[in-house]
Amino acid sequence: MITALVLLLVAVATEARTRQPIAMELAITISCVGIVGACAALNFCPAHAESASTLLVIDPLARVFKAVVLGLGLLAVLLPPARREIAQPGEFHALVLFALTGLLLTVGTQHLLFLFVALELASLSLYLLAGFSRSAKAAEAALKYFLFGGVSAAFFLFGLSLIYGFCHALTLSAIAAALSAGPLPPFAAVGLLMVIVGLGFKLAAAPFHYWAPDVYQGAPATSVALIAAASKAVGAVVLVRLLLTGFGEAAGSAAWGLMQPGWSLWLGVLAAVSMVFGNVLALAQTSVRRLLAYSAVANTGYLLVALSANGHCAAGAALFYVVVYGLATFGALAVTAAVERERGDDSLGAFAGLVHRSPLQAVALLIFLTSLAGVPPLAGFAGKFIMFGAAMAESTTHGTPGLTWLVGLAAVMSAISLYYYLMVLKQAFVREATEVAPVGLSTSHRLALLIPAVLLVALGLFPALLLSPLTQALLATLR
Amino acid sequence: MTPAWTLISAFAGALLVLLLPARSAGMARVIALLASITGALAAAAACLAKLQQPDAPAWSFDRPWIPELGIQFHLAANGLSLSLLLLTGLVAIAGVLFSWNVTLRPRAFFAFFMTIIGGVYGVFLSRDAFLLFVFYEIVILPKYMLIAIWGSTNREYGAMKLTMYSIGSSALILIGLVVAYAAAGGTSFDLDYLASVKYAPALQFWAFPILFLGFGVLAGMWPFHTWAPTGHVAAPTAASMLLAGVVMKLGAYGALCVAMPLFPQGFLEWRLVIAGLAVVGIIYGALTALTQKDLKFVIGYSSVSHMGFILLGLATATHWGLRGGMLQMISHGIVAGLLFGIAGRVVYERTHTRDLAALGAFDLWRTLPGAAFAFTLATAASMGLPGFSGFVAEISVGIGVWKSDPWLIGPVAVGIIITGAFSLRAMHRAFFPVRDATAPAAAMLPPLTWPEISAIALLISASVAIGVYPMPWVTLIDDGLNSPLFHSILALP
Repeated sequence: MITALVLLLVAVATEARTRQPIAMELAITISCVGIVGACAALNFCPAHAESASTLLVIDPLARVFKAVVLGLGLLAVLLPPARREIAQPGEFHALVLFALTGLLLTVGTQHLLFLFVALELASLSLYLLAGFSRSAKAAEAALKYFLFGGVSAAFFLFGLSLIYGFCHALTLSAIAAALSAGPLPPFAAVGLLMVIVGLGFKLAAAPFHYWAPDVYQGAPATSVALIAAASKAVGAVVLVRLLLTGFGEAAGSAAWGLMQPGWSLWLGVLAAVSMVFGNVLALAQTSVRRLLAYSAVANTGYLLVALSANGHCAAGAALFYVVVYGLATFGALAVTAAVERERGDDSLGAFAGLVHRSPLQAVALLIFLTSLAGVPPLAGFAGKFIMFGAAMAESTTHGTPGLTWLVGLAAVMSAISLYYYLMVLKQAFVREATEVAPVGLSTSHRLALLIPAVLLVALGLFPALLLSPLTQALLATLR
Repeated sequence: MTPAWTLISAFAGALLVLLLPARSAGMARVIALLASITGALAAAAACLAKLQQPDAPAWSFDRPWIPELGIQFHLAANGLSLSLLLLTGLVAIAGVLFSWNVTLRPRAFFAFFMTIIGGVYGVFLSRDAFLLFVFYEIVILPKYMLIAIWGSTNREYGAMKLTMYSIGSSALILIGLVVAYAAAGGTSFDLDYLASVKYAPALQFWAFPILFLGFGVLAGMWPFHTWAPTGHVAAPTAASMLLAGVVMKLGAYGALCVAMPLFPQGFLEWRLVIAGLAVVGIIYGALTALTQKDLKFVIGYSSVSHMGFILLGLATATHWGLRGGMLQMISHGIVAGLLFGIAGRVVYERTHTRDLAALGAFDLWRTLPGAAFAFTLATAASMGLPGFSGFVAEISVGIGVWKSDPWLIGPVAVGIIITGAFSLRAMHRAFFPVRDATAPAAAMLPPLTWPEISAIALLISASVAIGVYPMPWVTLIDDGLNSPLFHSILALP
């Protein structure tokens, strides 16, 4: 674990020391080496370890998600930023590695204060990455992201201080022990609510999603890929860890007719709002990046549906889904970046006749968007079905599933989402292109399309390949 | 040959077609034809084996798939599935033959076509709710692409409307299935297990309509049928044949073999509502077909009317009614495929119009006698004249209705009469127009090609075979209906 960090930091240092704008390829190569090295180091670290101060823990869940974060980070690095966008590739990639380091630390801690520090390390790097390209839009994106992110960090920290004030503990296990004594004190509940609000910003849950469309549209593709995939996966892990380990006693219930205040109910409401907001607003978008941003809001909603069931199986399914979602949305962004580079914008019309210009991109786009829409045999479908099935099963009392209202809403909203994904696919496959010059892609960009596409098909056909390790890791971690 | 070969041949065909190099795109249709024939032969062999040894243990394939949720990769076939597999095989062959002249992106066309066929086979074979749902949804995207790329009249609108109705109906089905799964303890998605659980009556009362409506939308149940005529008209010929011939049957099959066995008490509560909607669908579809100007719209609305008979048969909750509903599925699959094939391919390719009045000017009975002959037979089958499959099906449904709700037989008879009226009107106007003797004679049209003739011959002989000797089909269907799935529904004799 430490080795992983050291390797990453060495890579960072190498890049930062190179004063002159170094070649893009070199920067990408160094970053890749750093990430692969970190993966290798991960392989050698023990399955269970806690450092003396319990700041850092290595448990199965952390191991799995460190691998996931590194994988998604590797993909993001493979996606080459446009040369004219990024003047200093060395510094850009150094920041990418900093962000990854922050995310790695975030999944491997159950100490609340350290969690905050790690999360802010990641966030600060991501703010800079969002505004790296020096265009007006990127500046707007970075400013919005920073302002919203700053406010959310304040909420998060204030919530933590309230929790500390009433539980006198900062590690999750100690908090759980403190809470098991009696009912949740009201101020600690407020604190928990504020922490959830803070994480809601990170996850782009409505109504805390206002930064997402502008960031998705204005920031460089690599930065968006990190924000959309790796950072979201980490947000989900933090939420699962926090709620299931620390606040299992304060769940309440979101079941129809049996509702009780608690995080389960809050997440249920957030989920419903996110799904409706995200899907309805996505219908009206003409910029594909903005469309993907609203789809991100909607997908956070599906995720929260599973988490609000307050069960281990549903949480495992949610973690499966967040990985699969990350792959699909990353791929969709990668195709959008390629189209944008060629046509100059990311409007729906720019995708017209993509199947004639570049069959690879078109087929990859088909896989990514249909996976997001939840059409079999792709992993997005399996993920949604498993989440909804598990959420229903774990919310069943007296033979009646309590979350039918939420899962029903999710199923209907997911059906609606097919409409806007099809709007993009219609351009790519049905409409004719104005020009049919074939498009070339760099090798690393090709890889950035092929790897997630293959993974999505494989995980769609055999979801147990990822679901079983995730569920086992979750059970072993939460016990 | 096990029934699994239907599934394997279809998906392997789709994959092979995609892998063809661009310069040998002409091979696509040959591969698709071979794959369809393999599938149909596998289905026929399985049906024959079942008829010869009715008591032999049923074929089944069961492997763990997603153990965390108790999902199995479970395929099996009873008589109901086998008969529908054979229907799918026949329609698939005819569909490929009627698409013999597709030159626009043929590889993609046949790949999507074979994917739909594979998905349909898969639904009929699945015994696990998750697996069934996977196959059920696999067909959605190919349907959209077939209509939006290769379609005609208002194709993008028709494709989107049909797709949104399909995905909306799947959302309802998803809700219904996970409710059943959760209420049964959240341990298994096996359909036989889910059907064996006794759910609380209150749960059945609200969960059944969700699940049934999901399947009913795809079966063209009034008033959720509007996607069907629009989509069928916009679709290319082969897709219209598939949609009307087999994809709508997925809805009916799901209603019969999933929704009703899962929530039998809910079904008995809602039975009369379904019957009422079905009868309205029969009459409304027939009346609308009577006023259409476009030949394909006539056939599209006639499908709504004919699908009403299937739902009515199911709603009787009698053995005769269920059997009639199944026979009507098979009969309508063949006849709708035939009608769409003749109207969309044989006639339209030569005249470039489907308008009934404009077709009259071509004097088709003289200039294209083969098509006129075939369409006359198809119309007879569609009207349910004795000797064709439609008669056997409608009489069985009628007996079922008589046993359960005799007062419904009146409106049904009215529906049958209007069906005769619109069928004869369309046939008369399009193929046997009354012409002014002084008008110049229309030029002869190119005669039927061999793929067209073989497809027409295949479907007509299938319809006549069922009409003249329905016993094998009845035996197969009864085998399925005698399974424990339907015990609690068939309370009435």
